[in-house]
Amino acid sequence: MNVGKTSLLHRYMDRTFKDTISTVGGAFFLKQWGPYHISIWDTAGREQFHGLGSMYCRGAAAVILTYDVTSWQSLAELEERFLSLTDTAHHDCIYAIVGNKADLTDTNAQLAQDSDGHSGDSDSLERTDEQVLSACPTPPASPVSLSGLMPHKQVTHEDAVALYGRILRYKGLEETSSLPAEKMCFETSAKTGYNVDTLFETLFDLVLPSILRKRNENQGCTVNLEDSRGGGGSKRSRSGCC
Amino acid sequence: MLSLHRDWDDIMEKEDHQQGEEQEVKICDSSSETLATSLSLLGNHMFPDSVQRNDSSDSQLSDLAAAVEPCLKSEPSDHVTRRENEGPENGVPTQPADTEPEDADVENEQSDSGDFVAEMLAKAKLEEQGIGLKGRSSPLLEAGNDESPALMSHRDEDVTAESWRQHRKHVFVLSEAGKPIYSRYGSEEALSSTMGVMMALVSFVQSGDNVIRSVYSDGHTVVFLQKGPLVLVCVSSSRQSEQQLRGELLYVYYQIISMLTQASISRIFEHKKNYDLRRLLAGSEKILDGLLNLVDSDPSFLLAAVHCLPLTCSLRDSLSQILQKAITPNLVFSILIAKNQLLTIVQEKTVIEDTRLEPADVHLLLNLIGASSAFQAGEIWTPICLPLFNPDCYFYAYISYLDPPDCTVCLLLLSTDKEAFYAVAECKRKIEEAMVTQKSLSLIAKAQSYSVSQVGVSDLRHFMYKPFDVPDHYRQLSQFTSPEMEAPYSSEEEKMRLLDLYRYMHSRIHSTSRPLKLIYHVAERETLLAWVTSKFELYTCFSPLVTKACAITAITKLLRWIKKEEDRLFIRYPAKYSTTPNPSKSSRGAKSDQQDSTDNGFLSLL
Repeated sequence: MNVGKTSLLHRYMDRTFKDTISTVGGAFFLKQWGPYHISIWDTAGREQFHGLGSMYCRGAAAVILTYDVTSWQSLAELEERFLSLTDTAHHDCIYAIVGNKADLTDTNAQLAQDSDGHSGDSDSLERTDEQVLSACPTPPASPVSLSGLMPHKQVTHEDAVALYGRILRYKGLEETSSLPAEKMCFETSAKTGYNVDTLFETLFDLVLPSILRKRNENQGCTVNLEDSRGGGGSKRSRSGCC
Repeated sequence: MLSLHRDWDDIMEKEDHQQGEEQEVKICDSSSETLATSLSLLGNHMFPDSVQRNDSSDSQLSDLAAAVEPCLKSEPSDHVTRRENEGPENGVPTQPADTEPEDADVENEQSDSGDFVAEMLAKAKLEEQGIGLKGRSSPLLEAGNDESPALMSHRDEDVTAESWRQHRKHVFVLSEAGKPIYSRYGSEEALSSTMGVMMALVSFVQSGDNVIRSVYSDGHTVVFLQKGPLVLVCVSSSRQSEQQLRGELLYVYYQIISMLTQASISRIFEHKKNYDLRRLLAGSEKILDGLLNLVDSDPSFLLAAVHCLPLTCSLRDSLSQILQKAITPNLVFSILIAKNQLLTIVQEKTVIEDTRLEPADVHLLLNLIGASSAFQAGEIWTPICLPLFNPDCYFYAYISYLDPPDCTVCLLLLSTDKEAFYAVAECKRKIEEAMVTQKSLSLIAKAQSYSVSQVGVSDLRHFMYKPFDVPDHYRQLSQFTSPEMEAPYSSEEEKMRLLDLYRYMHSRIHSTSRPLKLIYHVAERETLLAWVTSKFELYTCFSPLVTKACAITAITKLLRWIKKEEDRLFIRYPAKYSTTPNPSKSSRGAKSDQQDSTDNGFLSLL
């Protein structure tokens, strides 16, 4: 908890960074994505609410596991406490590992992307994409060079990549047939907006085709909740840790 | 037949020596129809003991509080009285010996424990000097706090600072092992030694087979409440009665129960006596902070009644019908709220047979809604326990605003089924649709609290009326009605001052040792009259120059007006629905959910 799950979603949905309070239970949001509604659960990180975990994750198409780049413990807790909550997710659910609060450790992330201004919004999105694509194949570059300047950083990109590998093993998935770690490990800043749109939009693009495929296969057999809400969409869960 | 008291307090005001008048009337015969007839039966009785003079205090309330205190203190050996010099704590030097003459006896009897208390507290203060702001480096602090001072919360306060001591009301929660759980101001870590002393006091008195209830010092009242493995302590300079403060601590306890359930708290401490409950409550501090702010500013808590938004009967009925039609299995309560006031409440049938929703439970729900409104566009789903309904089980609350982005109209649906989110969310969509069709939202938007001028009684500035005679065959929720606080009570300070006067009147009416039926109180800037009968409880505030006869006529008129407006001011006939063909499922379903609470992550921690 306190890794910034609500702030991330707030940044993505409302384009703002506000003082949030500790999430009570879970909060459910619908995001319009083209002709579809994407259901998003913003979950509480507090132990008090872990009992609800199985409900949020049931049938989820994607889970965003969020940690705080300045807290090693937050990454460790993802594995210790939160991973088991995702057991009810759909069997081909995809997992993203997100290190939030990157602005505290990474000068790139400190550059506020003016996501509030509509003009130039697409520009900044493209720029973000490039950053991710160039940064990910050479993970040591940014974190290591900066770690001297920013003593806060406790979790490196490699740590996240390693966790991703362990999650695949926990889920019994083959690394070769799964999405590569480079693509699924993000560092974001809800405060500046760094990488936030990239994160959500990458995931939406990844899960939507498989959901639509499934829906076509199942057509007429089952009525699922997404259908009744018009348009069909993916249900997503986000989990995080303290 | 009538026992009558009347005392005249000549109250010396700080500078202007304005004269005040204090009159108490105890009427045993409450069947009298009007106040006028009741008052005509009055006789006079001087009450020498309670006449006190206080030259240094800032309001007449101190006098009156001093008069009340001896009564409360009369329970033998239940009180430890503290009288050590608190130094600059109070700012204004007072003469305790003058204000509490009757305490001398109690004092002598308790001198040993009094010294002990003084010593312990002095020691604690010394220790804290060294601790200071240790808690600031807590990893629990949210990022960004250090950069924006606006986000700096009470939690970061320096507990050694004078400003910390000067807070009007401190509330502390600790475990029986003396572990800090919550402090309203300052971080719990920095206060651990103070809390240790509090626990030492509790244990000290307990070792003599007794229970510590309160400690009085010149400026402060310290009230203790022990509930299971939790100890709650309030340190107040608000001059509220011990009973009222204890009631407020009970709300804090209930709010904690509402988040964790009584059963799991007991279980946790049975397994591990020195468990750090903050682990489970981390993040909930703001809910407790919010509750304590509400308790101070909202008279609903004092009156133990809920405040309804005035609505025409037909609109309220149509809203109830909308809620009645949008149901799903295991749904037990549907509640509609606007501007933090109740619009309507609909209950599952069998729940009504079993029990009813208590005002305190509604207050906790309203506080939860207020505290979770930071991100209002979403639909919230959270376990919540209603401690007075059943302290050991969870309900699952669905909370959603119906009018984003304004977020004034809030729908609250309570289910006993943890998995029912999607079904309950579907109910909300039905309710939303029906409200669009009937244009309910625009009608609700027009509804507002009323002005006292609508009553049409000159000199009447404000009132609070709590009826006991709402049709009772439904076991109705206690409600009260009250107009907006308008000038001269529009500023926060003045609002608080009026509420303090009401709290004082309330403490006199509900005094355990000498309860009153009627009290007429001339204060410095207003005149108040409180009256309790078998049918209602009423607190009124008039302009200062009103005569007694005027006030009586005004109250008669006010009661007539309320009678006429009753249907609009209160929820008259609570609607109900049946969500399950099997009647054993609803409320007993809630109880079976008790097992489920073990599933909520608690035992796995131990």
